Amino acid sequence: MIELIKKLTQAYGPSGRESEVQKLILEELSDHIDGYKFDAVGNLLVWKQGSSGKKILFDAHVDEIGLVVTNITDKGFLRVDAVGGVVPHTFVGHRVRFPNAVGIVYVEGETEEERKKNWTNLTLDNMFVDIGAKSYEEAKSKVPIGSFGVYDSYFYQMGDYLVSKAMDDRIGCAIVVELFKRLSSCPNTIIGSFSVQEEVGLVGASVAAYTFAPDVCVAVDVTDSADYPKAFKRHSMVLGKGPAIKVKDKASVSNRQIVEKLVELAEANHIPYQMEVLTFGGTNAAALQRTRAGIPSATVSIPTRYVHSPSETVCLSDVENAVELLIQYAMKGV
Amino acid sequence: MYLKELSLINGASGDEGRVRDFIKRTIQDKVDEVWEDRLGNLIAFRKGTKGNRKILFAAHMDEVGFMVTNIDEDGTLLFAPVGAVETQVVVGKQVKIKDSIMGVIGFKPIHLQEKDQLLKPIRYEELRIYIGARNKEEAQKMVSIGDYVNFVTEYRQNGRRASGKAFDDRVGCSVLMDVIDKRQRYENDVYFAFVVQEEVGLRGSAVVVEQVKPDVAIVIEGTIAGDDPGLEKDRWSTHLGEGPAVTFMHSGYVVNQKVFQAILSVAEKHGIPHQFRRRTPGSTDAGRLARTGPGTASGVISVPTRYIHSPVCMIDLEDYANTVLLIEKILEEGEVFAK
Repeated sequence: MIELIKKLTQAYGPSGRESEVQKLILEELSDHIDGYKFDAVGNLLVWKQGSSGKKILFDAHVDEIGLVVTNITDKGFLRVDAVGGVVPHTFVGHRVRFPNAVGIVYVEGETEEERKKNWTNLTLDNMFVDIGAKSYEEAKSKVPIGSFGVYDSYFYQMGDYLVSKAMDDRIGCAIVVELFKRLSSCPNTIIGSFSVQEEVGLVGASVAAYTFAPDVCVAVDVTDSADYPKAFKRHSMVLGKGPAIKVKDKASVSNRQIVEKLVELAEANHIPYQMEVLTFGGTNAAALQRTRAGIPSATVSIPTRYVHSPSETVCLSDVENAVELLIQYAMKGV
Repeated sequence: MYLKELSLINGASGDEGRVRDFIKRTIQDKVDEVWEDRLGNLIAFRKGTKGNRKILFAAHMDEVGFMVTNIDEDGTLLFAPVGAVETQVVVGKQVKIKDSIMGVIGFKPIHLQEKDQLLKPIRYEELRIYIGARNKEEAQKMVSIGDYVNFVTEYRQNGRRASGKAFDDRVGCSVLMDVIDKRQRYENDVYFAFVVQEEVGLRGSAVVVEQVKPDVAIVIEGTIAGDDPGLEKDRWSTHLGEGPAVTFMHSGYVVNQKVFQAILSVAEKHGIPHQFRRRTPGSTDAGRLARTGPGTASGVISVPTRYIHSPVCMIDLEDYANTVLLIEKILEEGEVFAK
């Protein structure tokens, strides 16, 4: 599964430009699904037909945060705006990968005062990207305005921790892919939605759920992990204690029946798990539950250190246990 | 071009009736069907010769404005913005209450302001509308809580430039009315939606998808220019005179890549001047149309507009004409939107 995670996290897929990731997912799944389609907003929907008449949708968003080129200076440097919840600090001195170039992100400052001010009040408005172009024309030919970039950051293993860009939410994609691969003769119809544009505002998810009108939805996404020095005090989630069953975040409250079922299945099958209350953030569950006449929805999360940075860190055993838990839920959840 | 008439009509979010009546009256004999829906959107339909696909164009009828929230003992009115209007552009401006009563938005004169006042943004609590009433009773005879308030701005045309209020988004409405005026029939079915309550949260467009089920939607907007001497060129959003602006992404939505590229390819094929919308803040009905119901591949084309969400906006008339032309060519080249 490590190879799959590596492949998916390293792929290029900022919000609105997810097709490369979806293609990889489809290749992985081609022998394990009964059908697939791309809907009007670009979600990849796959399914495995069951006989119970019940439908469960597992959602993982394919997009990752990034930068979009808004302007090019006369000297060939790029101006960028955020795609999703970008913390500008995580890009300083780091590299951004566009389809045809890699750039360095840095901060302006013409005087000592201005430099100090810009570093203190860092925004993308006082930053730029250097792709080594020597003129406006050269930059434009490589990275035209409207090009989307992602962190240029490699994947590595640190003990049983895995580190990469885009764990948010390719780890969810990997889990749903693995679920389909390992699932055999499931009574329920299982739908996988590899949804677009979560990071800019949950665009894909509501459309995905509308199409299939499932009985329940489970979003699989990352959550905060509060186990590094002076991490967020009020959060309990840590790496290695199992997948987190979300009770609540800022955008949704998980359906209680689903939460209880997940806990019951984890206990019965001796799958490690932890409960999650996230005081900020949100997942596609917020959009899924408000689709059509309402669909009971919840989120299963992978605790992740340094979310929205080039080095999002997860624990492999949490990922494995999440797959096991979701297999149980697919079989017996409804 | 109907920009002058549309600009002079008052219609803040939720009060679009007069705008809707004018548009309906003007277009009803030029389309195959036109209807008002339950939220107040006006939707017009022109059947295609083949009708394989449905293309929806949308512009919002509402403008930003204000609403009376309370009447003070001294006969002045307290008020709140409808849509996003910052206080700095409203001080000293003439307004009209419920489309009939003139007023002025007052603030203390410079002589009485404290030294550092000019550095601080004013709060709505500090502002009043003066309508000439001497006390609360007199004011109550003239206005009520909940009355709409609009800017009073003449429409002017001067060479290539036009100025007036409410260009966001009456310019979009006017562009679509011009397209309707050509009475051209295209291969695809074409729907024109004049929607309500965009400025307060993309509300009207939320019910259009269910009624039309379009294959493609394109929103026509008056968008921010920001081509301002106080900003460096590489921080501008659009520049007047460089043609209609094509959006790749805005707040809450990355424009469908196929629609984005189809718009660009039509503009390039026909040599129509165009530019990118080069900043991402602000949102449009495209974001709502994309995520509603079964979803819609949506795009945005804008007429660059200076000083939007203020009493006076300015556009370049050639940008306007090129926007109309671009839409016509998009409709002629309907195949570029093939699924």
